[in-house]
Amino acid sequence: MSAWRQALRLLWRDGRAGELRLLLAAVIIAVAAVSGVAWLADRVSQATDVRAAELLGGDRVVRSNDPIPEEWVERARDYGLQTVRSAEFPSVVVAGDYTQLVSLKAVESGYPLRGSLQLRDEPEGPLSAVQQPPEPGAAWIAPRLLPLLEMDLGDTLEVGARALGTERLIALEPDRGGGFFNLAPRVLIHWDDLEGTGLVQEGSRIRYRLMLAGEPADLARYEAWLTDHAPEAELQAPGEGDPALSSVMEQAQRFLGLAALLTVVVAGVAILLTARHYASRQIDRIAIMRCLGATQRQVTAILTWKLLWLGLLAGLIGTALGYGLHLGMVALLADYLPDDLAGAGPLPALTGTLVALSALLGFALPSLLRLRDVPPLRVLRRDAGSGVLRGWLPYPVALAVIFGLMWWQGGDLRLAAAVFGAVMAGLAALGAIAAAVVYGLRRTRRARITTLSGLVRRPATATLQIVAVGLGLTALLLLSVVREDLLATWERGVDPEAPNYFLINVQPDEVDELERFLADRAGVSAELYPMIRGRLVGMNGEALDPEDYAEPRTRRLVAREFNLSHTDNLPDDNRVISGRWFDERQADHPQWSVEEDIAQRIGVDVGDTLTYRIGGREVTGEVSSIRRVQWDSFNANFFVIGNPGLLEGAPTTYITSFHLPEGEARVIADLVRQFPSVTPVDLGAILEAVRDIIRQGSRVVELMATLTLVAGVLVLLAALQITGDQRRFETALMRSLGASRAHIRRMARREFLLLGALSGGLAGLAAGLAGWGAAGPLFELDYQFNPWLPALGAAGGAVLVWAAGALATHDHYRQSPMTLLRDPDD
Amino acid sequence: MRFSGPDGEIRLFDGLDLSITRGESVAILGASGSGKSTLLGLLAGLDVPTGGRVWLADQEITALDEDQRARVRGEHLGFIFQAFHLLGGLNALENVMLPLELAGGARARARAGEALARVGLGGRLHHYPRQLSGGEQQRVAIARALVTEPSLLMGDEPTGNLDRRTGEQVADLLFRINREQGTTLVLVTHDPDLGERCDRVLHLADGRLEGA
Repeated sequence: MSAWRQALRLLWRDGRAGELRLLLAAVIIAVAAVSGVAWLADRVSQATDVRAAELLGGDRVVRSNDPIPEEWVERARDYGLQTVRSAEFPSVVVAGDYTQLVSLKAVESGYPLRGSLQLRDEPEGPLSAVQQPPEPGAAWIAPRLLPLLEMDLGDTLEVGARALGTERLIALEPDRGGGFFNLAPRVLIHWDDLEGTGLVQEGSRIRYRLMLAGEPADLARYEAWLTDHAPEAELQAPGEGDPALSSVMEQAQRFLGLAALLTVVVAGVAILLTARHYASRQIDRIAIMRCLGATQRQVTAILTWKLLWLGLLAGLIGTALGYGLHLGMVALLADYLPDDLAGAGPLPALTGTLVALSALLGFALPSLLRLRDVPPLRVLRRDAGSGVLRGWLPYPVALAVIFGLMWWQGGDLRLAAAVFGAVMAGLAALGAIAAAVVYGLRRTRRARITTLSGLVRRPATATLQIVAVGLGLTALLLLSVVREDLLATWERGVDPEAPNYFLINVQPDEVDELERFLADRAGVSAELYPMIRGRLVGMNGEALDPEDYAEPRTRRLVAREFNLSHTDNLPDDNRVISGRWFDERQADHPQWSVEEDIAQRIGVDVGDTLTYRIGGREVTGEVSSIRRVQWDSFNANFFVIGNPGLLEGAPTTYITSFHLPEGEARVIADLVRQFPSVTPVDLGAILEAVRDIIRQGSRVVELMATLTLVAGVLVLLAALQITGDQRRFETALMRSLGASRAHIRRMARREFLLLGALSGGLAGLAAGLAGWGAAGPLFELDYQFNPWLPALGAAGGAVLVWAAGALATHDHYRQSPMTLLRDPDD
Repeated sequence: MRFSGPDGEIRLFDGLDLSITRGESVAILGASGSGKSTLLGLLAGLDVPTGGRVWLADQEITALDEDQRARVRGEHLGFIFQAFHLLGGLNALENVMLPLELAGGARARARAGEALARVGLGGRLHHYPRQLSGGEQQRVAIARALVTEPSLLMGDEPTGNLDRRTGEQVADLLFRINREQGTTLVLVTHDPDLGERCDRVLHLADGRLEGA
């Protein structure tokens, strides 16, 4: 019979005998974790890649911060291209007494040029595909706007000075480029309504787009014309998505992928243990097979085939589970993912199966292959070949497989090395502490030995169990309790009287009236700061290029316009740390004051000159001071401030921030009605949205952490399986010494409770330390270690391990003490 | 006594009637597979026969449930096995303390230390089984059997895993205990020399006990 068929038959027999349950479960968990993440990544990236043209809104798009010149549009039409203009900007809409920051978008007829809008006529109604924008006078809105504004479809929405009827709900917008993680819900209106809103003012933050569709040759001709006539125009082709967004998605996928690998590592330990146990139980069978004439080659072939079959089976079940897992993650992220994610492809199933096979071959094969050295003499002499499984080879092979998987998932050797190092160091640290506790208990057992029972009799196994379960619990506690602690610490740190509203886009002629309005209605004397948009183009007389900087955030700072201001007086929450604040006597000498972090990023110091392009004019000044800004004051602050003369004549809007007591939301509604172009930004709502994202995001990672915990429990069960014979022997011995079954059960229960409490307590400690370690450097928070964490972890761990242990060992206590007389070899 | 096996019922012991008096030393000899160990298990209440009755220390243990029998064992019986059956993760002292702790006895540590001293291992209290020779391991097992001061000591081939000289030393120890403390001794063995030293020798063959 061929090896693969023989292997399949033997495997079937092993399966029926229950020999492989744990091994199979461990591989399945590993595959589920990896394939679940792979499926999520696959579908999200398909949504970003495949519909690139739709996402762009056309075959080409011209972007600008200024209105698209009429000439660009006419020329495109001359070349036979279809054109649609759009304008998009944050604004606040009003319905009754409620206001809401939205992402407003006005489009011309003909929109969308590619793809279609998916709409609903009622919240749970059927979808209909439409290839035209709303008629003038109507607004189509994102469904979540209804509860936010406590309104119904059909109610009137005030958009600036215009009142529009809400007509339909937007389920999907083809060109919601950057549609993921958008904070503000969409309001779509017709281009012709835009002017009537009064929202378009000088200095308003509007992103204009000219979407184009047509034949490739016509597009190429237009592209050439535009490059010649308007070199500053920003032309985008499909596939050139927002680099910031795609890098966020990429990083998120990598992070989840590596989180999945943590599960693989822990499951790998379970695989290693169960495979060794399985191998040890195969020794006699292999000896008989050898005795009956099986060659070493045949033994190797059969064992390898067994693992391949097992891998395929686990791959199948694991990918099915992984599919379910990814559905869960999609559901958790529903608000931030497009409605029509691409269908699931077959590739992640292949990935999952490959992971199953490499895990099995890496973790289990080295142990199993040693069985080829079992001597046939064993059938006569019990001691022959009993040392065949000893040796260190399986461990480096397993480590190499883990590293290989990390490299593959992280896509970067250095990242893989860093994560591998961190995981191993973390495991070693957790292991060292667990071992110290267990061996310490073993040393100091003054009390009754039966209390500590198995924990001190099998210290190595106990340590391994504590680490495996502890790892999963650490991840879970970190993502739930520590996360909430950090959020709470952060919220406590915010002054309750700190400004909670920003007003932006205030026109110069509105400043006095707005100050009066705020004084009368909200009782605040708000200071309004001028805000001028400029782009950094030169330093010390030389042109600056974003490519000069390696750091992505610095590149964006240089590539984009950012906000400048001017003032005589150093703001209250600013402090000069180098150089001197503007001197009135030098009013005609152009000077900048730069915030310290930004100064460090772009590499500028007192005495250097910076050149900004502001509204087509270049303005150069000397850096006379570096400032430290207390950002968490929530006051309006600026990275770069010029002295008053420097920015004169530049297009200016004003900004202010103030504290509005709760329950005064009406003031904002009235403010928007009276000053339609002013955009109030509700900080509370934004913080709430950020909290939501953190919570939803961490729930996805929590799913992964739960899988790690399940893998940890599998290690626990594997260790119980390995020590099962020993436990049965001990049970029989103690019964022969007069212990009752209940007594033995009590001892085991105590052992599991102690084991669980130790791993949970350590996990709580580790999670707290990790939170504390991250709070300072990453979040600049003064995190207080939550003393309840170890207690909470200990309680959770105790219950978990007790339940799993009781389940796995319930048949051990039935052992008849006669075993001791019948099998003296055991 | 009957057992049910795959080929139907097996009658292992036939018309077996045995009584052992306090302080006696009895050897049960027989060939491999004659049922010596099974008989010992029945006498100790480790197992129950399908027919027949067993009394131990004035109690009919065949009428007790398993946990009640465990209690009787803990109170009256000491066991010595051919394979010693010490717990590898516990040192000599802790192995001997184990039955005391199971019975909830006081001064477990001190009494275990005394028991080990009595078998000549007072200097090896903190050695683990793997650090002890076969004879020493069996002496720890004897100390464990004695520490509860049982009235009956049962040995299943107690010298079977030991060389001749060590075996004799262990046997000396057992008979000294039997003499000095009046502990009843029941030994299952196939070693005729060990049998010779007992007050009574019984031969088990074909389910019948000769000399009973």
